[in-house]
Amino acid sequence: MSAYGLDLQAKGIVFDIQRFSVHDGPGIRTLVFLKGCPLRCPWCSNPESQRLEREIMFIASNCIGCNKCLAVCPTGAIDLDLPSRVRREKCNLCGKCIEVCYAAALIMAGQEKTVEMILDELKKDNIYYRRSGGGITFSGGEPFIQQDFFEQLLAGCKANGWHTTIETTGFTTKKVLKRVLPLVDLVLMDIKHMNDQKHKKYVGRSNKTVLRNARLVAASGVQMIVRVPVIPQFNNDLINIRATANFAHSLGAVKELHLLPYHRLGQKKYGYLGRKYPFEGITPPTRSDMNRLKTVVESCGLRCSVGGA
Amino acid sequence: MVVSKKEVNSVSPRIQKLIEGLYSVTPEIESERAVLITKSFKETESLPMIVRRAKALEKILSEMTVVIRDEELIVGNLTASPRGAQIFPEFSNKWLLSEFETLAKRKGDVFLISEQTKKALREAFQYWDGRTVNELAEQYMFPETREAIAAGVFTVGNYFFNGVGHISVDYAKVLAIGFNGIIAEAEAEMAKADTSKPDYIKKKQFLTAVIIAAKAAITYATRFAALARDLAKRSQDPRRRDELLQIAENCEWVPANPARSFYEALQSFWFVQAIIQLESNGHSISPMRFDQYIYPYYKQDVTSGKITREKAQELLDCLWVKFNDVNKVRDEGSTKAFGGYPMFQNLIVGGQTADGVDATNELSFMCLEATAHTKLPQPSISIRVWNKTPDSLLLKACEVTRLGLGMPAYYNDEVIIPALVSRGVTLRDARDYGIIGCVEPQKGGKTEGWHDAAFFNIAKVLEITINNGMANGKQLGPQTGEFTSFKSFEEFMDAYRKQMEYFVSLLINADNSVDLAHGERAPLPFLSSMVEDCIGKGKSLQEGGAHYNFTGPQGVGVANVGDSLAAIKKLVFDEKVITLNELKSALDSNFADKEDLRQMLLNRAPKFGNDMDEVDNLAREGALIYCREVEKYLNPRGGQFQPGLYPVSANVPMGAGTGATPDGRLEGTPLADGVSPVSGRDSAGPTAAVNSVSKLDHHIASNGTLFNQKFHPSALEGESGLQNLAALVRSYFDQKGLHVQFNVVSREKLLDAQKNPDKYRDLVVRVAGYSAHFTSLDKTIQDDIIARTEHIF
Repeated sequence: MSAYGLDLQAKGIVFDIQRFSVHDGPGIRTLVFLKGCPLRCPWCSNPESQRLEREIMFIASNCIGCNKCLAVCPTGAIDLDLPSRVRREKCNLCGKCIEVCYAAALIMAGQEKTVEMILDELKKDNIYYRRSGGGITFSGGEPFIQQDFFEQLLAGCKANGWHTTIETTGFTTKKVLKRVLPLVDLVLMDIKHMNDQKHKKYVGRSNKTVLRNARLVAASGVQMIVRVPVIPQFNNDLINIRATANFAHSLGAVKELHLLPYHRLGQKKYGYLGRKYPFEGITPPTRSDMNRLKTVVESCGLRCSVGGA
Repeated sequence: MVVSKKEVNSVSPRIQKLIEGLYSVTPEIESERAVLITKSFKETESLPMIVRRAKALEKILSEMTVVIRDEELIVGNLTASPRGAQIFPEFSNKWLLSEFETLAKRKGDVFLISEQTKKALREAFQYWDGRTVNELAEQYMFPETREAIAAGVFTVGNYFFNGVGHISVDYAKVLAIGFNGIIAEAEAEMAKADTSKPDYIKKKQFLTAVIIAAKAAITYATRFAALARDLAKRSQDPRRRDELLQIAENCEWVPANPARSFYEALQSFWFVQAIIQLESNGHSISPMRFDQYIYPYYKQDVTSGKITREKAQELLDCLWVKFNDVNKVRDEGSTKAFGGYPMFQNLIVGGQTADGVDATNELSFMCLEATAHTKLPQPSISIRVWNKTPDSLLLKACEVTRLGLGMPAYYNDEVIIPALVSRGVTLRDARDYGIIGCVEPQKGGKTEGWHDAAFFNIAKVLEITINNGMANGKQLGPQTGEFTSFKSFEEFMDAYRKQMEYFVSLLINADNSVDLAHGERAPLPFLSSMVEDCIGKGKSLQEGGAHYNFTGPQGVGVANVGDSLAAIKKLVFDEKVITLNELKSALDSNFADKEDLRQMLLNRAPKFGNDMDEVDNLAREGALIYCREVEKYLNPRGGQFQPGLYPVSANVPMGAGTGATPDGRLEGTPLADGVSPVSGRDSAGPTAAVNSVSKLDHHIASNGTLFNQKFHPSALEGESGLQNLAALVRSYFDQKGLHVQFNVVSREKLLDAQKNPDKYRDLVVRVAGYSAHFTSLDKTIQDDIIARTEHIF
């Protein structure tokens, strides 16, 4: 435990730390991606974020065909004929193949890290946070999945005086939320659908917890922006967008809503993980589609931007 | 203060027309100057060189064709055709003769040349056989020096074949006293000189030459006055007639006399700028702190109501177009290091005054606006940033950056001022610095900086160290040990230091040889008349007349050396996963059948640009070894050598001459540009790259460092995009970086421009310390720009 009452040695699984992030909260930020998510949204652009445990990814275009992976694998999980290279059912995640893969075709999604290791990384851009009014944003997966680790990280950020933003699906308990909120300056709350039937059907969970938590955050006085991933054939109809905007507006504290257009940039990663992209054949919304929805949101009395800010 | 989109993008029909006029034709070679200087030199064989140069300039300015282009408000041409190139046979000419037939066909920087011009030039060149600066310089060089140049360790090509340029004169003085004032000053100096002193003889010749040159400048202007009156007489359009009469009045008064108005100040300025570039073809004639010395004229006219801000802006825009009417033909090899017809006329706004207060004024903003309006590569506009730079100016600059022109370049007062002071420049002079050419700081009007003295390939020296002093099958450097015999990383570093010592000593010989040759064969009286202390000392710049004298050769390949050292240290000596033998044979074979080893070098050793101390510190050390060696030496003008770390675009040809390196780089591929990370190796984003680069010692590289960053337009969208860019600049400068510049253009757009050049004729990009039209660049340079890591988040 440090002077701040922090457990600097607390460990969690992080799958990326992205510096100079400028679309997830104010200013220049470092984005910390915590692994694990309770939802399985079929459009998810970070499939490696979904499972809590580490996973091996195979990027075929980096492979130089040296076949060292085959030689070192102790469980016979390497299959050169398999497009994703690794027989996941046989793999024990020992990482030996990754060690010998100099071309970085095999990589580990998710690293176990301590709070201290992450804070050290975050400190590197301290000067940029200060100059730009930026800070740290936690994303996932769903950061609340690793709730204790998450709380330690937030406390660590506060000990350094950084502005903190969390991007959340809203899936957590009332108790945890209340404990964490004092460490948070801005909540980016995903609301995927106002219709619970559709919500359940597509992401596998009811939206009740999300809406309750949205109300809780609004009442807490912590700044909140509602974010809607705009997914064709799921939630991009005017009725749902208007309902979402009306709900956000009704919270009183929410002044702003971001519409995040569906994109396919994460599609390749499903292949790296040996999974099938569940959302084949869906076309991203056009700029004019987005502008139409933006007008709807604005007509409900909220500021609206497309793509976050 | 955020300027609306409309203001940024609107350009008057006149400016549109001027730009179309300039770019409607392919640049052409003209013979007029070459013929006139040759004639003059034939007539003056018996006179001292300085007077011969003055008389030659007099002949050129009195007899060359003067042209006023359609709709121009600021006049003064260097060639009859737009963007043409005069020839300067006195520096070198054999290369041109041998490239007559390929000039129009080469891949970049194309020039047309007529049969008539070829004939005239052939005749003129005959006279210069054995009389050029180049031929004399070559005589001065040691054979070892020439061998090192041939092996590609360094090049002094710039001044070896051309004029030196790289200067900023005291424009303010010309505006204030006119050339009549300078003549009076020279006469007074002559009158008070002690005729019994042995240096009087040369002093008198120099001052005589200054007077001839200054009078020639006045003659040149009056020829424009006469032409304008003549055109006015014949003009059918009353609006244009009035403009021509105004031009005539301007040219009758300036630059002979002190400028009385903003308009006259601009016209006087341009005559100075044009004539300097007719006297010599040295490029990087840098206006520097234009917003400072022009401002009093602007303020006076705007306050008195003589001119509106809009009219003043139009005149500025006209001048900005005019900067692009200057051109220079380079040999095909040099076009690879200086691609895109660059002239490097660096004009800088903002910063602080000599007294140390913020210097920003209305004109600082208007200069940036002129660049936004004209969207042309010249002038190379820059901004000085310090702690007290108002956010409004910085944001305005970021807004221009976002247009994707690669300009302005940002410079850090907090590094440059102490760096200059460490070189003996006074604090007041250091605060008043400007930038020459790409990134070279100096006090304008007082300095002969010889800033672009050489490009020195520090990666090649590493390659030579690995080969125990051998290059291209020859024992070029000392034997510092077989690579496979090194027992520790420190032993290897010692060998690298010894090789550096040797090759830098040859570099000094090369530079000083060229320096002496310029002093003997091409002293420049006109240029010297506007730089302090030449008149006082009675000496030309080329002979040491300036108050401050430097020679600045550039190290190239910093990131490759840093990455290579890190790979050797970590994989060979620390972790012992590669043997020296394996590495040596892989390098010798350019990694043939050793792709796995190459991948290990690429991915298992840390790379500069990712904010990792273990490699960043080695890049710092690799650069310092070069810098410390260079600063030991003196030049023939009595000044010190000072290193820089920037490549122009020499990283491409220098890479072509460098074998495979331990950073995993393949033989012949480009080196990293400037102090930037190796293309594609900085994968942790722009802040990490910035932090790595800021760990280098930018103070010792007082001749300038160059850091390129490329952004995808989406990373800088909206008001917050501007704020973030400004914050990035401030953060880099907080960490003592010296210079940064940004290309804001998408990869798709550049790829499309390669495929469909006609669609993108107006696409201006940042190459190195300058911007150029993308489509005018050689494909290898285009590829290098595309490869530079693009930050998109």
